Amino acid sequence: MLHPVSPADSDHSPPGLPSWRAWYTLVLAALAAEIGFFVWLSRALGA
Amino acid sequence: MSNFDWLVLAGTLILIVGYGTWRTRKAGASLDNYLLGGRNTRWWGVGLSIIATQASAITFLSTPGQAYADGMRFIQFYFGLPVAMVLISIVAVPIYQRLRVYTAYEYLQTRFDGRTRTLAAGLFLLQRGLSNGLSLYAPALVLSAVLGWSPAVTVCLLGTLIIAYTVSGGTRAVTITQQWQVAVIFSGMAAAGYLLVRYLPPQIGFTDALHVAGRLGKLNLVDFSFSWTDRYNFWTGMTGGLFLALSYFGTDQSQVQRYLSGQSVTQSRLGLLMNGLVKVPMQFGILLIGVLLFVFYLFQPAPLTFNRPVYEEVMRGPAAAEARQLEQQHRTLQLAQQAATTSLAAAQRAQNPVAEAAAQQRLQTTQAARAGIQRQWLALIKRTNPTADDKAIEAKGKDTDYVFISFVLKYLPRGLVGLLVAVVLSAAMSSAAGGLNSLGSTSVVDIYRPALKGRIRSEEQLVKTSRWLTVGWGVLGIGFALFAARMENLIQAVNILGSLFYGTILGIFAVAFFQKHVHGRAVFGAAVVTQVLTLLAFWLTDIAYLWYNILGCFAVMGIAEVWQRTGPPDSRSEREGEPTDYPLVEARS
Repeated sequence: MLHPVSPADSDHSPPGLPSWRAWYTLVLAALAAEIGFFVWLSRALGA
Repeated sequence: MSNFDWLVLAGTLILIVGYGTWRTRKAGASLDNYLLGGRNTRWWGVGLSIIATQASAITFLSTPGQAYADGMRFIQFYFGLPVAMVLISIVAVPIYQRLRVYTAYEYLQTRFDGRTRTLAAGLFLLQRGLSNGLSLYAPALVLSAVLGWSPAVTVCLLGTLIIAYTVSGGTRAVTITQQWQVAVIFSGMAAAGYLLVRYLPPQIGFTDALHVAGRLGKLNLVDFSFSWTDRYNFWTGMTGGLFLALSYFGTDQSQVQRYLSGQSVTQSRLGLLMNGLVKVPMQFGILLIGVLLFVFYLFQPAPLTFNRPVYEEVMRGPAAAEARQLEQQHRTLQLAQQAATTSLAAAQRAQNPVAEAAAQQRLQTTQAARAGIQRQWLALIKRTNPTADDKAIEAKGKDTDYVFISFVLKYLPRGLVGLLVAVVLSAAMSSAAGGLNSLGSTSVVDIYRPALKGRIRSEEQLVKTSRWLTVGWGVLGIGFALFAARMENLIQAVNILGSLFYGTILGIFAVAFFQKHVHGRAVFGAAVVTQVLTLLAFWLTDIAYLWYNILGCFAVMGIAEVWQRTGPPDSRSEREGEPTDYPLVEARS
């Protein structure tokens, strides 16, 4: 077979955080915090 | 540029390319090594490579200029990107990594059939093959205007350098050079931003500058009102921006190849998530430089236009006398603008709302007068070019691509000018190299290898073919950039054409991932019908191109579903789920 299936990966336990769900939450929470900061900046210093 | 700047520029580029080529001098024995860097890249290498491939020279030339003219609302365009990174990490990465594919389109053969794979790969090659050369042409044009370099020589030199290291070291060389190119880009932009704040008048601090920019509407970061015609609001960012990011990062081989080179699902995912964390702050930083430039030029004399060749053209033409008069008005206005800005900053610091409102009013009046001068300038360009149409006049009047690089050349110290020009060229090279690398891979893996129809070729022969195809695509890109230089409309057509394919390709992949009961015949038919409908809609309606990603994707999914339910049975259905089984090269252990 041309494409051997990759060996069992350690993707069930990612480094740094307890689960992938935690990583995804971190990325989305960072986005939410950035948007919140931008809204504050637009309103506090905007025209 | 001074001799020292030339030394910094040449030294930076030669060191990066030389190091990348030397580190990968033994690459290329196998397809895995040559096309995917031995599938050995760590997460930070994957992440930096993804960032470098997306960030073209225009990112660093145009984006500050866009903020200078239009404020920071462009940031909203990137709001969908982190969401796309999460979705691709969940859905696409495990499938691509499990099947050990070389390209995203290879998966389509496993899931559907050969013709669907060829269709998607063909659309990618057509779009990327034409547009890759243009990513070198755009910065060459700007640098020719401000530095007097020949665009043709710049394109040929950069193109040859990129072909040399991409062909020699394959994906690993591209990844290693991209890591250093990103380091140069970040340090150059950070230095430029720091000095920009330092160069503001002593009485204007960083927060004063932000206050002034905010009062003049430049801190328009988030807009929750919706409009079909407005590209930059929260809703278009979260929908159109999301689908664009899904198409680009999930199905465009120039990006998929970056994370396929990851050591494992974990490393690929972390690389994508790193991009999701870094991209919005990075764009914010670049746009902030543009806003600071705007405040800087409220105090410093800005030219009537930053586009020097157009300025000289008007000054040599029949409208030269009026242009000189207009320039005088512009200078007088700048003095009034400087006085009003100083008063506004002082009133803000003193927390005197009455004085603040009065100063803001004066500043807004000068801004309105400035807009009037811009309109008169356009009229003078039209008088100088009486046969040009409105679009051409508008393009000549637009100088946002030149704002940042003009500041760099005029105000930054020796050495740093060379570094910032290296930033622009590094960005051009990193994105073009990523594109070229993916063109070579897709042509050999998805077009050449299946065309062999079972005639076995060794991996060494396939790598050799991939190298020659990469050279071919590189030469084609250079040739197309030189040819397109004479046809502005052609450049626009290529950019638009590419954006019209993304929706269809994303739709094919969405069916593959989420509609497990739909087979090859239905999705192929749906993709062809959708592509024809997309081209017709583009021709007959005014729908903004961003929406074609969403409409195209849902059209393929919907038509494929109906086709599957109502069409004749598909012989391929019996073989669904089989791994790629065509005899291509000798089996690898």
